[in-house]
Amino acid sequence: MSREQTGIKKELIIKNIFRVKEIGIMIPTILLIIIVQMVNPLFLTKLNVLSILRSSGYMLIPALGMTLILISGGLDLSVGSVYGLGGVVTAYFLTNGVPIFPSVLLGLLSGMACGILNGVVIVKLKIPPIMMTLGMYYMARGLVYVITQGTPIFPLPEAFKAIEQQNMILGIPTAVVCAMILAAVFFIIMRYTVYGRKIYAIGGNIETARVAGINIDAIMISLYAIIGTLSALDGVLMSSRLGSGQPSAGTGYELQVIAAVVIGGTSTYGGKGTLAGTVIGVIFMNILSSSMTIMKISAYWQNFVIGAALVVAVIIDQIKRSKTAED
Amino acid sequence: MQEKEIVLSVNHICKSFYDNQVLENVSIALKKGEILAILGENGAGKSTLMKIVSGIYPAGSYTGTIEVQGKEKTFRNPRDAQNAGIAMIYQEINLELDLTVAENIFVGHIPKTPRGMVDWKRMKKEAEAVLKTLGIELDVTMLVRNLSASIQQLICIARSLILNPHVLILDEPTAALTESETKFLVDILRKLQGEGISCIYISHKLEEVFHISDRVVVLRDGTCISEYSGPEYDSEQIVEDIIGRKMEKMYPSVPKTIGEEVLRVEDFTVPHPYNKKVNIVDHVSFSVRAGEVLGLAGLVGAGRSETLRAVYGIMKKKAGCIFLDGKELAMPRGKTASGYGISLLNEDRKRDGYVKSMNVRQNLTLSYLDKLKKGPFIDKKKEKELAEKYFKMLHIKAPSLDAGILSLSGGNQQKVLLGKCIITNPRVLLLDEPTRGVDVGAKSEIYRVIADLAAGGMSIVIVSSELPELYALCDRFVVLSNGRVSGELEKEEASQVKIMNLSCKQTTGRNREEIRG
Repeated sequence: MSREQTGIKKELIIKNIFRVKEIGIMIPTILLIIIVQMVNPLFLTKLNVLSILRSSGYMLIPALGMTLILISGGLDLSVGSVYGLGGVVTAYFLTNGVPIFPSVLLGLLSGMACGILNGVVIVKLKIPPIMMTLGMYYMARGLVYVITQGTPIFPLPEAFKAIEQQNMILGIPTAVVCAMILAAVFFIIMRYTVYGRKIYAIGGNIETARVAGINIDAIMISLYAIIGTLSALDGVLMSSRLGSGQPSAGTGYELQVIAAVVIGGTSTYGGKGTLAGTVIGVIFMNILSSSMTIMKISAYWQNFVIGAALVVAVIIDQIKRSKTAED
Repeated sequence: MQEKEIVLSVNHICKSFYDNQVLENVSIALKKGEILAILGENGAGKSTLMKIVSGIYPAGSYTGTIEVQGKEKTFRNPRDAQNAGIAMIYQEINLELDLTVAENIFVGHIPKTPRGMVDWKRMKKEAEAVLKTLGIELDVTMLVRNLSASIQQLICIARSLILNPHVLILDEPTAALTESETKFLVDILRKLQGEGISCIYISHKLEEVFHISDRVVVLRDGTCISEYSGPEYDSEQIVEDIIGRKMEKMYPSVPKTIGEEVLRVEDFTVPHPYNKKVNIVDHVSFSVRAGEVLGLAGLVGAGRSETLRAVYGIMKKKAGCIFLDGKELAMPRGKTASGYGISLLNEDRKRDGYVKSMNVRQNLTLSYLDKLKKGPFIDKKKEKELAEKYFKMLHIKAPSLDAGILSLSGGNQQKVLLGKCIITNPRVLLLDEPTRGVDVGAKSEIYRVIADLAAGGMSIVIVSSELPELYALCDRFVVLSNGRVSGELEKEEASQVKIMNLSCKQTTGRNREEIRG
C-alpha cells in the first residue's frame, strides 16, 4: 500500500470519528478530566468519582425527558417544581402512615398529572409550551408550599431512607442505577421505535408530521407526562437521600437540566439530538462543577463557566445549521 | 398619450438564479399617469422584475439599468427605490395588526418633534389627510386588526403615498378582496392616476386587468412577448401570448382504461384564512374515476390548493362531504384522509414537504411508519427494502438512502416526497404543483411516474400553474375561478385557451347554477 493510500485511510478514520454526533462534547469532557487530574490528583479518587456519578445520575433522570421534549420542539420549565412536588407528596404520605410503595407511586403520579395537564393545555388549547410550563412552575411550587406549609416534612421511615442512603447495587448508588436503566430504555425508544421516529418528525417539521397522519397531540401529551413522571421520580429519590421532604428542593433545577441537554448537542429548534449526547452533557456539567471545587475555584465562578459553556454549545449548533445550508 | 413624459424605464434587464435565466433583456417604459399591467404565467418573471424595480434585488445582482425621470439610478435596497419615488405594495398585506392605523401608515418614517419624541399630533393629522385623498374617513387611532381586508389593503396604499411616489407597484392587490372591494380599489387607482401617479399593476384576473389598464405587457419565460394598448383588448390573443409554448415531447402516453368513480367531493366550502368573510373555496364539487387523471385548473388564488388541503383534512372546511366508492367518509375533525387511502403531495416542499433533519430513507417512510411496526419497533430491514424499492423506481439521485434530504437537488427532493405519498399505495393521489422548482429531467421522470400510476388504476388529482403540463397530463379538467367551479372540460373538447378563458371568467352565483344544472 502506498503512503498516499494510508494517508487517505487515516483521513477517513478521522472523518468518521468526527461524524459521531457526540464527539463535539466528548473531546472537551476528556480534556477537562485530564487537565483537572493533572492539577489535582485527588480528582479521580473513588469518593469523588462516586460523587460526580451520583449528581450526574440525579440530573440525568429529568434530562432524558427534557431531551425528548426538546427534540419534539417543546419545552418544560416546570421540572424543578415538579421534582419538589414529587418528593414532598411522597414524604407527606409516608409521614401519614401510608406504606412506602403506594407513597412513592402517589409521588410519581403527582408528577405525571402535572405533565399531562401541561401537555393537554399546550396541545388542545394551543398555548405556547414556555407559558404553560411557566405557569406549572409556579403552580407545582405553590402546591409544595401548601403541602409543607413551608417547613421540611420528616422524619421519614428508615426503610425509605435506605433506598438512596444505603442501598448500593454493585457499589453504585440507586439513583445512578435508575438513571442508567432509564437512559438505556430511552436510547432504544428514540433509536429503534416508531414512537421515537415520530418524535423526531414532529420536531423536524410539525406540518409535515401532520400531513403524514402522525398523531401529534397524543405524542406531545405523552412526552410531557414522561418528563413530569421522571422529574417526580428524581424528587422522590432526593427526599430519600435527604431523609425529608424539602419545600425548596429542585428550585432552578430545570435550567440546569436544559443547559446540560443543550450542551449535549440537542437542538433547541427541535428535530435533532441524541440521548448519548445528553448523557455526556450531564456528566460534563457535573465534572465541570466538581473540578472547579477541587481546583479551589470560587463557587461563584461556576455559574459563569456553565453559562459560557452553554452559549458555546448553542453557537456550535447554529454554525452546524448554517453549514447544512438551511435558509 | 405619446407626448407624456416617461417616469420610469427599465432597460435590458437580465437576471439569473444560478444557471436559470429568469429575465432576459427586458425593457419597459412607464409614462406619467399611466396604468400599466404586466401579465404572465407563474414563473414568467413578473415578480422578479418588480423586485428589481423596487430595490429588493440590489443593483449588481442583475444587469441592465433603471432610469427614473430620465436619470439613471442604482437601488441598493428598497429604501433607495422609495427615495426615488417608487413604492411597492405587496401581495400579502404586511401590516402590524396591533398598531394603530396612523402608526402603520408612518412605519419607518415616524415624524419626530424637535426633542426626538414621536410627533403624535402631526402623525395623526397627516395620516387622516392621506386617507382622505383615498376617499376614506377613518379613525386613525384604531387598531388595524379590527379593520376589514379591503381597508387594510388601502392602508398599505396610504403608507406608500406618504412618500409622494411617482410610481406605485401593486402585486396581486385584489387576491384577498371581494368583488365590491375590488371595485372600490379600482376607483381609487383611477383617482391617483388623475393626480399624475403612474401604476404598475400585476394581476392574474384578466377581466380586471382589461378594465383598469391603459396598456398591457405580456412576459413569458423571462422575455417581453407582446404589448397592447387599451382600452379594447383582444383577450384571446393575449391568452395565447401568455401560454405560448408548444407542447413539449416530455409527456409519456401509457395505455390505460378508466374505471368506476372512486372519489367524489361535494359542495366543499373553505373560508379564506385571512378574510373570514370570503370563501376561498365556494361549493366546489368534482369526482375522479379509477385510472383517471383529473386536472384542477385555475389561477393562483382560485382555491385549488385549498380544495386539495381541505379534502385531505389539513385545512378547516365550512361544509362539504367526501364519498369514497359511493360511501360517505366520516372523517373525524383533525384527522387526515391518509387512513382512507388518500395521499397528498403539498406544493411547498420546505413548509410541509420534507423533514429537513431526516435522511432520504426516513423521509420516504414517514407516512408508512405504522405499517412498519414490529411490536413497538421499526422493522429496519423492511424499511430499508421498501425505501430501496422506491428509491430505484423513482430514479432518485442521491449518494445513498442515508443522505440528508437537504443535500439533494430540488428535483430529487420532490421525487422523495412523491415516493412518500405513493409508498402507502393510496387509491387517490392529490398532487399540488408536483413539478414546482424542479429541473426538466426530473420533471419528465415525475410525468412518467404519474402516467404509470394512473395506468395501474390510481385516481389522481393534479393542481399545476403550468398550463401546458396540466393540459398534457390530465384526462379531464375542472376549472376553478374565485373559489367556484367555472367549468368542466373533457380532454377532447379542452384546449389551453379554453381552460385559460374559464380560469379568468368572473363567476357569479348565477352562472354557477347554470353550470350545475
